[in-house]
Amino acid sequence: MKELFTMWKHTRMVVLTAVIASVYAAVLIPFKPIPIIPGFTEIRPANVLPIICSLMFGPAAAWGSAFGNLIGDFFGTLGLGSIFGFLGNFLYGFIPYKVWRIISKEEPTIKGSKKLLKYIFLVFLASSVCGVVIGWGVDLLGLVPFSALANIITINNFLVASILGPFLLIILYPRIKRWGLLYSDILEERELPRKNLRGLGLILISIGGLGGIVLGNLISLGIYHSGFLGAGFITGTTGSLGIALGMVPVIFLILIGSMLL
Amino acid sequence: MKAIEVNALTFTYKDGTTKALDGIKFAQEQGEMVVLMGHTGAGKSTFSRCLNRLIPHFHKGNYSGEIRILGNSIRDKRVHDLVGEIGLVFQDFESQLFSTNVELEVAFGPENLCLPRGEIRERINEALQLVRLKGFERREPASLSGGEKQRLAIASILAIKPKIVVMDEPTTDLDPQGKLEIFSVARLLKSEGYTVLFIEHEAEAVLEADKIVIMDGGRVVTEGKPHEILRDVELLENHGIRPPQIAKLFQETNEPSLPLTVEETLKVFQKREWKISDEKYTALLKKDDELNTDYGKKIIEVKDLEYIYPGNIKAIDNINMEIREGEFLAIIGQNGSGKTTLVKHFNGLLKPSKGEVRVAGEDTKGKRVAELGKIVGYVFQNPDHQIFADTVEEEVAFGPNNLGIPREKISLFVEEALKEVRLEGYEKCDPFSLIKGERQRVAIASILAARPHVLILDEPTTGLDYREQKSIMELLESLNRKGHTIIIITHSLWVVAEYANRVLVLHKGKIILDDQTRKVFSQEEKLANSFLRLPEIIRLSNRMGRTLLSVDEFKYCLKR
Amino acid sequence: MFIYLDKESLLHRLHPVTKIVGLLLLFIWAMVFNHPLYLSIIFVIVLFLSILAKSLSNLKKFWILLIILAFFSTLLWSLFLRGPTRIFKLGFIQISKESLLYGLAMGIRIDTMILSGIIFLSSTRTEDFTLGLSSLGLPFPVSFALSLSFRLVPTFQATTSTIIQAQKSRGLDLESGHLLKRIKKHIPLFIPILIHAIRNTDLLAMALESKGFGFKKRRTYYLHFRYKWQDWLSIAILAGLIGLSFYLRLNGYGVIFRRI
Repeated sequence: MKELFTMWKHTRMVVLTAVIASVYAAVLIPFKPIPIIPGFTEIRPANVLPIICSLMFGPAAAWGSAFGNLIGDFFGTLGLGSIFGFLGNFLYGFIPYKVWRIISKEEPTIKGSKKLLKYIFLVFLASSVCGVVIGWGVDLLGLVPFSALANIITINNFLVASILGPFLLIILYPRIKRWGLLYSDILEERELPRKNLRGLGLILISIGGLGGIVLGNLISLGIYHSGFLGAGFITGTTGSLGIALGMVPVIFLILIGSMLL
Repeated sequence: MKAIEVNALTFTYKDGTTKALDGIKFAQEQGEMVVLMGHTGAGKSTFSRCLNRLIPHFHKGNYSGEIRILGNSIRDKRVHDLVGEIGLVFQDFESQLFSTNVELEVAFGPENLCLPRGEIRERINEALQLVRLKGFERREPASLSGGEKQRLAIASILAIKPKIVVMDEPTTDLDPQGKLEIFSVARLLKSEGYTVLFIEHEAEAVLEADKIVIMDGGRVVTEGKPHEILRDVELLENHGIRPPQIAKLFQETNEPSLPLTVEETLKVFQKREWKISDEKYTALLKKDDELNTDYGKKIIEVKDLEYIYPGNIKAIDNINMEIREGEFLAIIGQNGSGKTTLVKHFNGLLKPSKGEVRVAGEDTKGKRVAELGKIVGYVFQNPDHQIFADTVEEEVAFGPNNLGIPREKISLFVEEALKEVRLEGYEKCDPFSLIKGERQRVAIASILAARPHVLILDEPTTGLDYREQKSIMELLESLNRKGHTIIIITHSLWVVAEYANRVLVLHKGKIILDDQTRKVFSQEEKLANSFLRLPEIIRLSNRMGRTLLSVDEFKYCLKR
Repeated sequence: MFIYLDKESLLHRLHPVTKIVGLLLLFIWAMVFNHPLYLSIIFVIVLFLSILAKSLSNLKKFWILLIILAFFSTLLWSLFLRGPTRIFKLGFIQISKESLLYGLAMGIRIDTMILSGIIFLSSTRTEDFTLGLSSLGLPFPVSFALSLSFRLVPTFQATTSTIIQAQKSRGLDLESGHLLKRIKKHIPLFIPILIHAIRNTDLLAMALESKGFGFKKRRTYYLHFRYKWQDWLSIAILAGLIGLSFYLRLNGYGVIFRRI
């Protein structure tokens, strides 16, 4: 994880972060206020960018995606929820390059079914982590219920990144490599991630991400609709677990897992 | 002590197969202005980046040789050790500016040097004074014209107070007005005692230089005083530089004085009693008129066109015109005069706010761009704004595929389009790795492959060297001869003079002139009001009461 | 920033750090209650701040968004939560008085936050914002990257729209086709956009290094703000109001459901 901090001394990585952020924001902005409103959700193709940029530019994509999303919020929808948007998009741009290094020794030019399978797994993982973190955060803040947002984010991100990603990577990756702009070329050898516990990290994060989607939906459907929360009424005695508390272990798993990656 | 002294400098980029620099020997005195010329790929930019150690620190590769800046070897220096000695200004000003106002942009360098606030303020004042941007402190860089942006980029370097200023093709992306601004700043810097190294394509700009150096293949080919080098037409043409037209006119004469300016030339003409032959000039006029009657039926008609951008900005104001099949039309005018807005109506990208546009007799209202694309093809200014495919072949086939041309015909169309732009054999090549001129050709081929009758090209020669410019224009000329209607937007008036048959001059969204090229270019004063400065050969002939568009025409008509 | 209004006002003159802290405090304040009446009072106070910041003209651009957000928030929470006083039931769907009130409160909460955000954005320049972050301890390269991103957005928006037009001219039709096909049509857009952006990276990085970027750990700032009494007072007032609100909430005022 140290490359997330050491990268700032490389001018190219600083600029790449800004470039990724602004491109992400520029293609995100036309759709910006819409995802909060279910039913109005148009597919957002821009969400393929953090995934492919992560596989090429590594840590710059993690920061870039987070900054880009924040800038999108600066066009008018800035709120406390922006903190979770920042974190969710950060992880969305952070997980792909980390996980790819664990599950594959090859370049992420997605050709052949084996590579494609690994890529799809990675995309689903990153998408669900992003969805869980943002969905949990906005539910916690009382802005939007978990299942209204988490599922939309996960499905949208998964769809666009699995459909567009392989095509874009096949064309972009070799060229970026030739221009010497891959993160593995810019960062020095000793900065590149190499951790003993990263396998464990992957397991934790998978449980957190995939489990989070399932658990979150169960809680919101099962518990909310059973009238459990009715007990939370002013005069009631016990508060409910709800999404806010019930999901804490999951969020914990995701954060610990990311640190171990 | 020399400002710059270079010995046996050789550099090969990492992954590069050939030497980008091959044993450069170069020297520049303090206070001198030296102009570095040569065609694309000659190694000029690489050389300039060696001077402040961007090479080999930023771009890695195989480096050898020695550079001394102000007497000291820079072997052990890093880029930031040299900021006080040497400042670099790049071609692409858009990507050099990143602040919200002019003042803060200039402050960036001094801030990095940890200077106290008072000192930064002084430096901002001085630097803005020098590039004549005083009073612009609070302006947003995005709101400046191209020339002003590049001057701001220069000021942001000057604020660091380097002794040597290196400018790497700072005028390439500018309109003629902006170019003049930069040239005058360069002269001013020299008079202020700066050592200036100026990389530039335009020969006319460099008369005041102390020395011209020509590079080719990573080597210094020759160097000399401007007046000697600029007269050597053959040398210039061989290295991708457009020679001054007057020098070319005198190329085969035995005139010893070899004038370079219009005034000097007129004196020589007087002395020698050279005149323009009336008879031959009349023949030229007759040819113009014949051409005019040759055109086919109306292909584009514009009636009472008005276009208003959001925010109530009127970009096009009551335009009436028509274009007939087989014409070669050039649209000129300053930036912001409405050129691009006008032509975007021809393929339906924009729809009139008022009035109407008809293409092949049909109103564009309610037509999709994809439908009109079969008649009108539009090549955008920057080929990199459209290239996306893995191979040249796929790239060129994209248009025809979208337009629903039958599959069996597509490969034939692609093949012919590539042949037309002389890129046969490039089918399987990676379009991204081609040089700019070739990428421009791929872009043209990708439009041609859909077989539109009309071709619109926005700035087809910008960013290309003279050799590439000529070959693109010859390509358009041959397409025109084969019957295509060609419409170009350009700032390059010599291109217009030599290739277009008709010129449309726009000013603030209105047509101010629309006629045969010769007739338009005879109105020098009206053009000057729109900041359009004619090529010297035309100014020369206008002074003699005739309008001759090219050196060849001049030679043909000159009675010696 | 994008919706920055170049005006003179008390909020424009505040130290950026004050504004960042103040913004966070407003967010927290909106979190204290979940009763629509109490949140309305906060909303009105924030609306008053927006008049103080002379940012009402920006509000005109966003009021539709604010209404839509409030509406959907009310609707969603009414459906997702269950309270004891049922007022509507249709099969699986039911709404109670409490869930409706809670939903309404959440709608006002979202709007209060966004309104606070708009005030902040209308009165703070990018440079002020990054300077504020630096004063709060963010390292310069990070705050620089953030402010550079802000600056590049309009550039890339312009490029994106040129690229869309260029590909449309080659017959690309983004509107037609089913979902999968429409997604795929973004390939000819994304590749030139990314290639263009990445090509600029090297040039920009070189221009930065040529101006001494990353030269020293420390640097000076030409822009200069000083903490004035208005800064301390604004924070003190806000903190006081939030303290009072917490006291009220802990004593059972302004609560519909016992959740945040």
